[in-house]
Amino acid sequence: MSAYENIFSPVEVWPEKPEEGVLGDIVEREKGTIFVYLLGLIGNAQIGPIYLGTLGVVSLVFGFMAFEIIGLNMLASVHWNPIQFVRQLPWLALEPPKPEYGIGIAPLAEGGWWQLAGLFLTLSVLTWWARIYRRARALGLGTHVAWAFASAIFLFLSIGFIQPLLMGHFSESVPFGIFPHLDWTAAFSIRYGNLYYNPFHMLSIAFLYGSAVLFAMHGATILAVGRYGGEREVEQMIDRGTAAERAQLFWRWTMGFNATMESIHRWGWWFAVLVTFTGAIGILLSGTVVDNWYIWGIQHGLVPTYPHAVPPVVDPLVTGAGQ
Amino acid sequence: MKIVAALFGVVIATLLTVAMLFTAGWVHPPILSTQAGFRGLALNQLTTPAAKAKLELANALPAAIEEGPPDGPKASEVYQNVQVLKDLSAVQFNTLMAAITTWVAPDQGCNYCHNPDNLADDGKYTKKVARRMIQMVQHVNTDYKAHVANTGVVCWTCHRGNPIPKYTWTNGEGYPQATGGFATTNRGMGHPSWANGSTALLQDPYGPLDSQASVVNVRVQPTRALPLNSNGPSYQDAENTYSLMIAMSKGLGVNCTFCHNSRAFWSWEESLPQRVTAWHGMQMARDLNVSYLDPLKDLLPAERLGKLGDAPKANCMTCHQGANKPLLGVSLAKDWPALGGTAAK
Amino acid sequence: MAMLNFERRYRVRGGTLVGGDLFDFWVGPFYVGFFGVTTFIFTAVGVAMIVYGAAIGPTWDPWAINIAPPDLKYGLGFAPLKQGGLWQIITICASGAFISWALRQAEIARKLGMGYHVPIAFGFAIFAYLTLVLFRPLLLGAWGYGFPYGIMSHLDWVSNTGYQYLHFHYNPAHMIAISFFFTNALALAMHGGLILSAANPPKGKPVRETEYEDTFFRDAIGYSIGTLGIHRLGMFLAVSAAFWSAMCIILSGPFWTQGWPEWWNWWLNLPIWR
Repeated sequence: MSAYENIFSPVEVWPEKPEEGVLGDIVEREKGTIFVYLLGLIGNAQIGPIYLGTLGVVSLVFGFMAFEIIGLNMLASVHWNPIQFVRQLPWLALEPPKPEYGIGIAPLAEGGWWQLAGLFLTLSVLTWWARIYRRARALGLGTHVAWAFASAIFLFLSIGFIQPLLMGHFSESVPFGIFPHLDWTAAFSIRYGNLYYNPFHMLSIAFLYGSAVLFAMHGATILAVGRYGGEREVEQMIDRGTAAERAQLFWRWTMGFNATMESIHRWGWWFAVLVTFTGAIGILLSGTVVDNWYIWGIQHGLVPTYPHAVPPVVDPLVTGAGQ
Repeated sequence: MKIVAALFGVVIATLLTVAMLFTAGWVHPPILSTQAGFRGLALNQLTTPAAKAKLELANALPAAIEEGPPDGPKASEVYQNVQVLKDLSAVQFNTLMAAITTWVAPDQGCNYCHNPDNLADDGKYTKKVARRMIQMVQHVNTDYKAHVANTGVVCWTCHRGNPIPKYTWTNGEGYPQATGGFATTNRGMGHPSWANGSTALLQDPYGPLDSQASVVNVRVQPTRALPLNSNGPSYQDAENTYSLMIAMSKGLGVNCTFCHNSRAFWSWEESLPQRVTAWHGMQMARDLNVSYLDPLKDLLPAERLGKLGDAPKANCMTCHQGANKPLLGVSLAKDWPALGGTAAK
Repeated sequence: MAMLNFERRYRVRGGTLVGGDLFDFWVGPFYVGFFGVTTFIFTAVGVAMIVYGAAIGPTWDPWAINIAPPDLKYGLGFAPLKQGGLWQIITICASGAFISWALRQAEIARKLGMGYHVPIAFGFAIFAYLTLVLFRPLLLGAWGYGFPYGIMSHLDWVSNTGYQYLHFHYNPAHMIAISFFFTNALALAMHGGLILSAANPPKGKPVRETEYEDTFFRDAIGYSIGTLGIHRLGMFLAVSAAFWSAMCIILSGPFWTQGWPEWWNWWLNLPIWR
């Protein structure tokens, strides 16, 4: 009965020489690899070697500049007091410009820093995307990771640039900051009349939860056939072994349908990609095409009605009641 | 070195965990609740027995004082310089003065406002302020029945035995903004405050309660599905209203679903009757601040004024003090028609 | 129903948990087993109750159908059928069906000589569901705290329950849960993308093996967790998302009744900087 449950690796074998990696078209990697025992319990113990390259350096420099602009503005907002900086850190903000500045350039103190930080962060993310794409090509791999990343960038740009551009105000966009961006999320939903009634928000959440379901199903299945070498997925695709057969039959017998070693990764890729893609569509439609999603929902037969426990009230501003 | 660092980390993490567990204010069942809307709609108010007991304690009533009979000579005939309560009998007038002392200055006594050598003397600023506040109470009880109903208010409602009500607000109370230089200003956001309920929203959301506009209008949600133009309220306006609503919730000791069905905050049809009362309360607060409290800055000494030189003002918390009905709905005003109270039937 | 070409040699008797050989058979592609029968019964009754609830409700609009829990006044007792009793029966059926399904997965895993990872992972989802409709209502003392069964009505419940705490995003467990959900989607995209990119190289290149996968991620971010590790990580992220979702709602009400943003006052008021 004692099962091979395969939650962690009880025995670690560290090679005398670290794996250098296969040679791609570009081979000059950074020096230095280390082994971390704790990582080895879960996966590979080896960290590195990393490939930086020009794009990597450019991306990190831009990212660092954005990080500094955000961090120093936050530090300035607590009058350069390091203790208050730590104490209030989750609350600290770098807010976008006021609506008055439209899509023009705002003075630094009035949102100009926000624009600069956004610009640098965008450059950093885009160069990082190019880097991911080029690495895949250099190693003779498909570019699936890069295109999944592009979907996330699309959401990032939709929130930070495209929707504000369509609305004609950078003020629409999200502030930098831990709690401030949560406030934006809530206020955005309130302003556009309840995002729960936005069908693309529904889809995005469904794909987000679906991604968790899929990865739980897939991860658990592969671990469950780990004793048959199920984690060697590409080999199982080309040369199907008993691991793939059992994994497939498990789901066929459970729910009458099964993916294959390859198609489960297509399911996963699409679900994850659609989280951000449908999310971005939902953002782009808010304010530009639909101003109040709840009322839009009424017009499209989405909204349940509830019996009133007390007689409904009317707007005192309209009736002129009271004063 | 590694071990020292690890130990240090463990100690910090343990201390933080202990602080989080024991100082955050966690509660435990049983939880008391009331349901307002249709079942399953989650329009519920939650509290605990301990919080309820604390609220009842905080709303204990002052020693009862009976108003004297209306017969006999008028106060204005017996005393000099009676400007507001002229029509009371002298006995009524004296009992009201005693009541006001109990409500506002129980420790300081009559001399908090009066010159003991000449009670008619207007030399103390407190006397002039008190006269204006009596007029304000009369105004509230007669003109804002849509908010205070027949329950009404008296001095005690806000003062609770303190010469200055415990909960007032002035401008610029939040964490000071970075000014000058070219660092971001963030327009008053990005710091926790009492009023924003420890969010990163506007620290000082009471502007609409002290505006010259004739009606407090903080509505940010469109009442049509499709946009007309892109110059409607911004999400930042929504944030500011959100912050004001949080301050309101805290003042009343309730959550958003006391008035709103949050699926459509704007919709009156979806709202509960309390929202109408609350709406009139906002109008009242603005009126009182603009007409009665702001002008006090000319009477009050500098130490009574706020950072920016404005007089202390009222918001929901000033009267409500964490109860959705001040004093848990007990009417003190019914015994004091002179203050505009409506006598109990 | 056609079987997969390799399926016949896996269809052997034995390995059941309950019922011996009695239910040890297949219907089409489905394995039945004792728990298949219980799943079917619970599901059939539950779905019938939902249809009945919709029939006595005001609408057949699938978005607006709402089967609501009882009023709070019924506490932890049974409510009349049309005042939340249906919701109670459906909840019992759903719990029974979900648990039967997990046990059925365990039985199938046993038959196939696999580990029990899938039913364990599914157990976390069941735990999250039961937290919403069983554990939290028990702690708060009324079934009326459960969420209503309806596409939009359950969203209205989520909205109002969130605004009972003024700003739910400040719930620390909610923050953790969302972080796990997002990280899970990120990891799934990276894993799915990597495997697809190795199996679908550009024209003229051979299918790439594990060394290339490791090299790609080491080049890109300095670390490749490895073929086994990514599945451990993925399962961990996914079940953690479900677990912390359950935590964030069990805390809201039974253990916290104020606005969630105010929870953070403990941090602001630490003695070192208060």
